[in-house]
Amino acid sequence: MPPFTKGSPMSRSRLRFAAASAATLAVAGLLGACGGTGPAADSSTGKAKAAGQPVYGGTLTYLEHQPPTCLYLPAAGFYPNGGILNQITDKLTWQNPETLKIEPWIATKWEIDKDATEYTFHLRDGVTFSDGTPLDAEAVAANFDVYGLGDEKLKLPVAEFVNNYERSEVVDPLTVRFHFTKPSPGFLQGTSVIGAGLVSKKTIALPYEEQCRLRNIVGSGPFTVKNQVVDKEVDLAVRKDYDWAPPSSGHQGRAYLDEIKIIVTPEDNVRVGALVSGQADFVRYVQAYDEATVKNAGFTVYAEPTRGVNNGLYLRPGNSILKDRGVRKALQAGTNAKEIVETLFTSGYPVATSVLSRLAQGYTDLSKELAYDPDRAATLLDEAGWTRGPDGVREKDGRKLRLGVFVAGPQPLSKQTLELVGQQWARIGVKLEIRPADAGTQAVDIKDAEKTAVAHSMVGRADQDVIKSHFHSQNRDVILSDDEKLDRLLEEESAEPDVTERNAKVAEIQRYVVDQGYAIPLFEEPQVYGGAPYVHGVAFEAVARPSFYSVWKSERE
Amino acid sequence: MNRPKTGLLVASLVLAVVALWALAPGLFTAHDPIAGVPAEKLQAPSARHLFGTDAVGRDLFARVVHGSVHSLSGAFVAVAVGLLLGTLLGLLAGSAGGPVDDAVMRFVDVLLSVPGLLLALTVIILLGPGTVNVAIAVGTGSVAAFARLARSEVVRVRRTDYVEAAFGSGGRYPVVLWRHVLPNSLGPVIALTALQFGMAILAISTLGFLGYGAEPPTPEWGLLIAEGRNYLATSWWLTTLPGAVVVAVVLAAGRISRSIGRSTA
Repeated sequence: MPPFTKGSPMSRSRLRFAAASAATLAVAGLLGACGGTGPAADSSTGKAKAAGQPVYGGTLTYLEHQPPTCLYLPAAGFYPNGGILNQITDKLTWQNPETLKIEPWIATKWEIDKDATEYTFHLRDGVTFSDGTPLDAEAVAANFDVYGLGDEKLKLPVAEFVNNYERSEVVDPLTVRFHFTKPSPGFLQGTSVIGAGLVSKKTIALPYEEQCRLRNIVGSGPFTVKNQVVDKEVDLAVRKDYDWAPPSSGHQGRAYLDEIKIIVTPEDNVRVGALVSGQADFVRYVQAYDEATVKNAGFTVYAEPTRGVNNGLYLRPGNSILKDRGVRKALQAGTNAKEIVETLFTSGYPVATSVLSRLAQGYTDLSKELAYDPDRAATLLDEAGWTRGPDGVREKDGRKLRLGVFVAGPQPLSKQTLELVGQQWARIGVKLEIRPADAGTQAVDIKDAEKTAVAHSMVGRADQDVIKSHFHSQNRDVILSDDEKLDRLLEEESAEPDVTERNAKVAEIQRYVVDQGYAIPLFEEPQVYGGAPYVHGVAFEAVARPSFYSVWKSERE
Repeated sequence: MNRPKTGLLVASLVLAVVALWALAPGLFTAHDPIAGVPAEKLQAPSARHLFGTDAVGRDLFARVVHGSVHSLSGAFVAVAVGLLLGTLLGLLAGSAGGPVDDAVMRFVDVLLSVPGLLLALTVIILLGPGTVNVAIAVGTGSVAAFARLARSEVVRVRRTDYVEAAFGSGGRYPVVLWRHVLPNSLGPVIALTALQFGMAILAISTLGFLGYGAEPPTPEWGLLIAEGRNYLATSWWLTTLPGAVVVAVVLAAGRISRSIGRSTA
């Protein structure tokens, strides 16, 4: 690693300025680190080593919990994928994570017709992909034709953030228009999500398996892929000619860092240990019980909200026991989310008060409907005909009330959460069978409502459509839905152009999902990162994927 | 002469206590190993919770005590599989000699050349996870060691005068094997049994640690250690104390094995 700060003329010349306003800067540093708005500053006590101004150069070592999977953009919502793609691709628009407003990026401005069936985007001039080809109207059209319609021949699926897409129209080299068969109000926000990252025409013309591979992803982002050791490490290098950051970013031009080393480190305590001992600069997925370790070492914990469908248990009506709404409602009443949060998590994980997070658009408070009431749960189960057997587990017609669930690898402390839920359910006479996540078996059994009656899951996206992504039978379909009414409600929501009406629809869906007992929301899942004190300017998109564009490293002790 | 006996006494005591844990866990702890008290999570060892509590508020000592039945019965099954299959193969090879001996011993060579853990993992993938399957998998791994040892003893005993005499006086082959060869070649095999018992507990814990053992929330020693490792920095007792129990049992089994080996040598 080059000595990028010690001899740098920049840091030396700014030293006086920095020392003079150390106190103010310390505060600014905190704010900047949390909000991620432009370059931040920090000061270290003891030796006068305050660094006020961003410095160029250096390598950021970022430890990731899991290796990336398929990187075909619309399918790349998985956080390990997003952590890479957010650095190497740009989007048409930028969603301000604080206001959730959509701001210009590659599109400098846009027009939307009244009923949201026609979108016209005007593109920034001079943007190129890292292979040298221009990012123009044709390239954007090629991208969205695939995201909106899919491609059967190349086996590319439709993206969940585009609804009712009809076709694209290249008006001139820097203007592109999209036509929709029905109103598609979520589309503008859809152009800002991770899956809508723009890739070169060559990339988008590749078949699915090829687009899954990182080396084939050519974007226009501030970093490019330099090297990949599959399942172990990804090295990103800065793109020196990058000059098209979102206009609202405080930092323009090339990224400060020279390189980012993303190293897959599955063991939780190894990640945290490496961070606090100075071997890593930034880590994803600090477990709740490790937050204190990170904070006590003087490091920063970033708990970023994901603004989507809450972490919870999703009950599948296709299961022969759970097809009875009474049983589903009983399980809902018999689950104490507050106890789970208080036992296993920290203040970064608020107790769920609805299917959606409080920060999600269209959220409505259903905490009364979701109140913990074991007596009601027992009554409901009695009414449904399930009576206590000799071992305490309820039975009906010789069948035990046993439900299977898989430990969810991506969810924090999934096993402990499920064990605690199992404890709570045992009190009302229900046996929860927890299966450890074994990738092979899980891939087969997770789609079988009989074997996997309950799914432990969540999804983040800062748009009303997130609820459709989670529940619609054509999208993620976590409950393996056979409920036509739910599908219809979700489709109505995604085609509603008026925001107030749309939010009302989202509220209705939340109420319906809770009323039907499809969901037992537990908590609002954050993405928790840990960062070294000398790492500044980390920003997060609206659903907590990190952006390292404005990151710089000051001198460390 | 006195000191080794003290060691043996302690070893026997450890195994006796653990055996009692498996037979009557209720005598040792009043806490529930499955259902905890969430408010009492992650408490350090105290008089109330001898080994402290885990992240969900379960008493760790109760989990270790109740978990011993899984580890011990698993180890018994594993050793039984190894002992029966291995001794049978060894007896066959040693007494028949010639091509049969060669064939069996080359097969044993193949088994020996595959690392035990790898062999166990392969068997588990075929049988599926679960306590009994883990035990069988571990047992398969020890077949080779038993077969080799049993064969060498059988070859020695087979050529002794009294066995030749038994054959000479018209004894039928299987009867002579059963009455004279087997009993006289079992000594070292039994010593190996005690040693393998300790190794089996270790191997079963390893597989439990890797997530192939019992389903959560069943307390199982390897699983307890695996669950605790994430809390190593903040709650040392979660890995250290179950780990110490496993070490104690394995050492005790080894000590007893050595004393059996010495007395039969």
